[in-house]
Amino acid sequence: MKKPLHKRLGHGVKHAHRRVTKYLMERDTLFATLWVFIFIFVLGSIPLNLGILNPVKLGLKDFDFNDLYYSKVGNKQKNDIDSNIVVVNIGRADREAIAMLVEKTASMGPKVIGLDVLFDGPRDPYQDSLLRETINKTPNLVLAVKYLTDSSHKLIAANNYFKNDKTLYGHVNFPTHGDKETIRSYYPFKEDDKEHDIIIPSFTTTLLKQYNQEAYHRIEKKINKETIISYSRTLTEHKKQYLVVQPEDLMMDMVDSSSFKNRIALLAYVNDNPNDIEDKKFTPMNEKYAGKSTPDMNGIIVHANILSMVLENNFIKKFPGWGNWLLAIIVCWLHMSFFIHYYLESHIWFHLAAKIAQVLSAIFFVWLGIEIYNRYHVKVNMKYSLITIVMAVDVIYFYEAWATWMHKKYHYNTVFKPHHH
Amino acid sequence: MKKLLFVSLLLSSAVFVQAQGADFLIYSFKGNVSVVENNAEAKAKVGKLMNSSATIKVANGSAVTLICNEAAMFTITKGGTYPLRNFGDSCKVSKSSVSSNYVKYVWAQMTKSSGSPGSNRKAYMNTVGAVSRSINNVWIDPRLDTVNYCDGDVPLSWKSYADAEEFEFFLFSSTDIVNPIYKTTVKKHKVPVSDLLGKIKPGNTYYWTAAVKGEENDDLKVLNYKKKEDFKSILETIKAQGVPFEGEAEQAYRIAFMLEDAHFLAEAHDYYEKAATADEANVLYRSTLMSFRKDYEIK
Repeated sequence: MKKPLHKRLGHGVKHAHRRVTKYLMERDTLFATLWVFIFIFVLGSIPLNLGILNPVKLGLKDFDFNDLYYSKVGNKQKNDIDSNIVVVNIGRADREAIAMLVEKTASMGPKVIGLDVLFDGPRDPYQDSLLRETINKTPNLVLAVKYLTDSSHKLIAANNYFKNDKTLYGHVNFPTHGDKETIRSYYPFKEDDKEHDIIIPSFTTTLLKQYNQEAYHRIEKKINKETIISYSRTLTEHKKQYLVVQPEDLMMDMVDSSSFKNRIALLAYVNDNPNDIEDKKFTPMNEKYAGKSTPDMNGIIVHANILSMVLENNFIKKFPGWGNWLLAIIVCWLHMSFFIHYYLESHIWFHLAAKIAQVLSAIFFVWLGIEIYNRYHVKVNMKYSLITIVMAVDVIYFYEAWATWMHKKYHYNTVFKPHHH
Repeated sequence: MKKLLFVSLLLSSAVFVQAQGADFLIYSFKGNVSVVENNAEAKAKVGKLMNSSATIKVANGSAVTLICNEAAMFTITKGGTYPLRNFGDSCKVSKSSVSSNYVKYVWAQMTKSSGSPGSNRKAYMNTVGAVSRSINNVWIDPRLDTVNYCDGDVPLSWKSYADAEEFEFFLFSSTDIVNPIYKTTVKKHKVPVSDLLGKIKPGNTYYWTAAVKGEENDDLKVLNYKKKEDFKSILETIKAQGVPFEGEAEQAYRIAFMLEDAHFLAEAHDYYEKAATADEANVLYRSTLMSFRKDYEIK
């Protein structure tokens, strides 16, 4: 008589469970798992860059599995425009035109204005004096600076000719190595390494201090703490999640003043043309999340995303390093048990089963990382877990040879017998 | 009775709120656009929020881009009067979960076919040009970075980010990129190459650009006017690359594809047309011709 479906399913689950757990508590499984981590440690400690000609390694150099969340599966969840923020495009305006735009923006009644432009030094005296006057008479204007260290290794706010003791300012640095890296984090406050009273707030921190004290309190203690940016909105040809006002519309009174009233107004160069990469950065929201691509987001939209994140209390927490390693150990251990079962008992199917398990596990663990990121706003680094799954198969061959040698030499008890297959 | 009244009041207010629900934001507009709210008409303004009881009036030649709260952006380009309540469909939010998006994405990637050049010409075409720094009010598609021309007609086109009525077109010789050999003012966003034939000579390279009248544009594009014999030899090489038993339409389609890849746009258009005419039932030939015409502003 044919077994009912639930019994057949139950039998299947029991069978699969046996495959994973039969060798779970064997000494060989534990030692083979240990060998995986020894290999990871040894390979990671080789001082030579062995991946110099490896296109996969080069292509994935700046890759993070959680980028899939922003790029493909998650960021579409949020569609609303952030009404706290309005961006004014300054286009190719010179200093005189920027002064006019700042004045016009101020007349619309925003609570705070951010001017994300670095003014390196003096230019035309007439234009400089106009802009200086405008800056001086706009008390709620925040200027952009860059933090650098001077010749005495002291932290300084530089790259803005118009900054003085009275002006509000904030740094626009991002902790990346050059322009080609993805911007994933920022420093709400940057502190001098030695003199702890020298602290430079970020551009967005200064804006938030003026705009919303409650939001500011969320970050005021993040001194020298690298904070992950939770991107929620973008600005592309097809998707506009921040209101961007064009300079001619602003100057010709074609903009509704209510969109500025008591909001944050950000002035910067912004363009949604994908072929224009002026002041554009790589972000996790890039449609192409691995390999060669073009920068996708204007710097000011990155700042706007930081503002949205703090205002919406939408921070991302980082899973501790030991937690990532612990997860990798458990994942590796389970896989090792499964692989050893096939290796010893159905060797003919070992490679096929191992490859299928590797693909399915990779899909599952990437999903798990994304789901945790989405639900609990915790960034779990699944990289180590996935590396161990990949390495486990090769390590079994090494472990078999090692265990057999140990058995001959020291009568080491092992489930691997010489030439068992 | 009081309870019944309370419930019916609650229900009717819920229906009212749903009807009133959507908020529309004017994201940008061009030309004459006005908003009618509470029987009062006012000029449209960027950033204005309206509810679904408002009506928007768009004059001919004008356009307005609206964003419905929590939903996609849409643009009205045809003149007319539009009650916003008609755009309810644009305000629907698709609430698929991250997990289902992930499964769909993985499945799509695993089952994605690598495709063939013939069925997806844009993915294989080497005409996309490079990204650029800085942008003018006039944007010239990077596909027109270099245009090779021998015969036929194709427009040199551009897009404008400014609400401009007139544009200046400049043609320079390869030896002098300061003083144009030809300059004209046009109202359309294109100049057909056939209009330039009196000013250019085969075998020479020219540069061209377009700008809003009174403005400048440093973004120069290349126009190579090829000699007939040079083009003939290129065409012969392309023809020789065909497979045995290639049909007439098939051959025309392949030649068109390869000519487009070699930046011979006017000539490619002729061959795409030949392919579509030779095999009228072929949907791919017809749709590629339409897509080509759209890409290069060929009417």
